[in-house]
Amino acid sequence: MEWLNPYHLQVASFMLINAILGVSIFITLSTGQLSLGNAGFMSIGAYAAALLSTQHQVPIPVGILAGSLLAGAVGILVGIPSLRLSGVYLAIATLGFGEVLRAVLINWESLTGGAVGVAAIPQMGRVILSMARDGGFSPESIGLRNNQFISLSVFLVLLLCTLLSAAFFLRLSRTRVGRAYTAIKLDESAAEAAGIPVTYYKVLAFSQGALLSGFAGALFAHTTSFVSPGDFTYHRAVEILVFAVFGGSEHLLGPVFGAAFLTLLPEALRAISEYRYILYGILLVLMMVFRPQGVIDPALLRRFRRSPKETAA
Amino acid sequence: MSGLLSLHEIGKTFGGLSALSGISFEVRQGEIVGVIGPNGAGKTTLFNVITALFPPTGGEVRCDGKRISGLPPHAIAKRGISRTFQNIRLFSTMSVEENVMVGRHCRSGAGVWRGVLRTRGQRREERGIRGKTRELLELVGLSDADPERTAGSLPYGHQRRLEIARALAAEPRLLLLDEPAAGMNDAETQEMFLLIKRIQSLGVTILLIEHDMSLVMKACDRLVVFNFGRMIAEGAPAAIRDDPRVIEAYLGAAEGDDDA
Repeated sequence: MEWLNPYHLQVASFMLINAILGVSIFITLSTGQLSLGNAGFMSIGAYAAALLSTQHQVPIPVGILAGSLLAGAVGILVGIPSLRLSGVYLAIATLGFGEVLRAVLINWESLTGGAVGVAAIPQMGRVILSMARDGGFSPESIGLRNNQFISLSVFLVLLLCTLLSAAFFLRLSRTRVGRAYTAIKLDESAAEAAGIPVTYYKVLAFSQGALLSGFAGALFAHTTSFVSPGDFTYHRAVEILVFAVFGGSEHLLGPVFGAAFLTLLPEALRAISEYRYILYGILLVLMMVFRPQGVIDPALLRRFRRSPKETAA
Repeated sequence: MSGLLSLHEIGKTFGGLSALSGISFEVRQGEIVGVIGPNGAGKTTLFNVITALFPPTGGEVRCDGKRISGLPPHAIAKRGISRTFQNIRLFSTMSVEENVMVGRHCRSGAGVWRGVLRTRGQRREERGIRGKTRELLELVGLSDADPERTAGSLPYGHQRRLEIARALAAEPRLLLLDEPAAGMNDAETQEMFLLIKRIQSLGVTILLIEHDMSLVMKACDRLVVFNFGRMIAEGAPAAIRDDPRVIEAYLGAAEGDDDA
């Protein structure tokens, strides 16, 4: 089991958290709303989960659930006034929301610890390890060192969460609600005239995206065991958008792929140290020139779906 | 007299410009009423007012005696009024089938959880939606089209038919058709006439905007004529054809064709 490298597992864990963020921006985008508030909603989930577990000894899963729901509820409150805005105006307003929230996190020191953030958040892997030990199970019995076991269990929990989130919204996209989302994205007033309550679905999608960002934030808090306002800046907001722009925003797998690939890339390029972000930037520019719709688009997916049948026939 | 749709003193202004004023007429259950008039007379604006895409600035719209002006467009669709658009507005990257399924939205109810969990009720509902969709595609003559094909890739005439199928999916009692035969040749216009009559025979009342006079004269039970945002005549097609005010509105258009 020597090959199980905690560092690799940690990179994979961040890929998964970012993949959930990719799903979250996809949901709001799937109704044609460009939101840059996801970093802000992520901070709500992260801080709620962190504070509940450090100050009130709430069990981790309960804290994660509470953090996600709180982010979703704030999403409804932000989503309703934002309905009057569209396109870049919505993007700017939601970006502003994220920055205001960050200012609150920095200045409300009695609750949030200010710029220093919240430390000593129970780490999922360590908690699972101690529970396993209490239950009489030792990682050595399956040939794992403690740190390997911790990283592996975090990875598996995040993998499960990512698969559940992606499956939930993939299934949703093939239902009445998913069709309503797409119709709204393509032509809002034709959708409204066809009997779809556009306002309701836009707020629903916005708060679902917020809830999922909060979920990713709460998982992040219990993975790194430390959160600070610096984790949820403007850069994070744009990074999440880039997942969708790079991976493609026409299908849920686009932002998921974008998140995984763009998280892995700087790590894979560590060997060339400071040049790697130059390469990252060049890659994004080339993408915009040669494949503006993103890596994954419906045409690509159709080709993948058809080719096995064609080769069989 | 109880009309299915009744309009009382409808007015609509955009800024200082009056697009419609003092429009009052009724549409009775089962009839086909044609709305004609020169370009810019306010015909499409009337449709937008009835379906609340632009709420009226005066007067009221009643459906079955109940006031519907003030309701949002989706609620009006639910009350049984559907429409098509002059410049076809399909969901172009969605499939042919999905476009019709979207039209079924207000006659179905499965939400997020039932959808994701694929409950028995939700699956039954989806089967119902698909069945109704096939039925409507057949009605409008698109049963040979690939249901998986994107709507935007259909030939123009088929797009018009698909839009009608989407409108019918909401089970309207009143269907508003905005120039369904625009850009069609004689054979296609004849097919459109037959389709409109078939829809009427299913019990759907129709309000029809159309420039093709032979189609209007054949299809409509009654006509209302608009010019410069006002209703200038109302009556049976034969009477309208000989009405001097109508002839003037059309032939006099050369002087006043500044599209009021």
